[in-house]
Amino acid sequence: MSIYCIQDFKTEFDKLMSKNSYKSLEFKLINYFFDKPISELISGKRLNNSDVTPYIKKRIGGSGGFRGYFLLLIKEESLYLMFVHPKVGARGSSNIDDESKALLYKKVLSCIKDKQLYELTLNNEKNKIVFKKC
Amino acid sequence: MTVSMKSNIKEVLNDVRHSSYTEKKSSYMDVNKVNRLLDSINDFKNDLKEKTVRIYNVNENMDKLTWFNIDDLNEDCLMALNDLISSAKDLQSSLIRQYVVMDKILKVKEIAKEEIKDFKNSIDELKESYEDLESVFFSLPQMPEFVETTKQLSLI
Repeated sequence: MSIYCIQDFKTEFDKLMSKNSYKSLEFKLINYFFDKPISELISGKRLNNSDVTPYIKKRIGGSGGFRGYFLLLIKEESLYLMFVHPKVGARGSSNIDDESKALLYKKVLSCIKDKQLYELTLNNEKNKIVFKKC
Repeated sequence: MTVSMKSNIKEVLNDVRHSSYTEKKSSYMDVNKVNRLLDSINDFKNDLKEKTVRIYNVNENMDKLTWFNIDDLNEDCLMALNDLISSAKDLQSSLIRQYVVMDKILKVKEIAKEEIKDFKNSIDELKESYEDLESVFFSLPQMPEFVETTKQLSLI
């Protein structure tokens, strides 16, 4: 399965990784998303009522951890990370509003069409995410 | 003056002698009373843990509902979902009131600190779950751009 992200995700990821209290995010993302069959990623809350292109909100790192927003294109076996936020701490928030959920959704479609994406892979040690512009 | 002082000293001495004798006979603390107190704290912790697990289960079951197809839901189902969201809001209000009391009385005394923290987290997630349910079934499908994006994605 190929994993991509839009700029919004990378920007938030970089901000969070610069804070010691959120350093666990990278490990949690690797653990949850990488080297997994797509069937294992069809869980969480489906926001768009679609079986073939589910837009999913998922708890990452258990309760009180992070919330990840991503799109799955089942047939293409590709996953698009759209946004991540912590539940607690200085950059924490309990939820994002409907306008933001809709805006991210529209944005990921436009980024897929225009190939404005980063491809995510792991380094050799499989402990760091490598972002490569498409 | 000297006589008065001597009398005072004797008075204190008697008090100390009496206390010393009494305390020597008694145990360090009333073990039964302490055990009853610890049992009560443990009972409270276990009840709170059970309640927290029940809330997490409710949250998980609400999350699963988002995988139902809206097209398969009739008016009755949508009304039931609306009732569910309202009931979940009521539940969250009641639980938050309980949490506030626990936080005020117990958490500051470091009693059941972790259990209370987890209880609060389950309440926060309950709020998040009914908000998301409202988004999925009522708000987002009403946003034309959102619906259009779903259509366009299905064509990719």
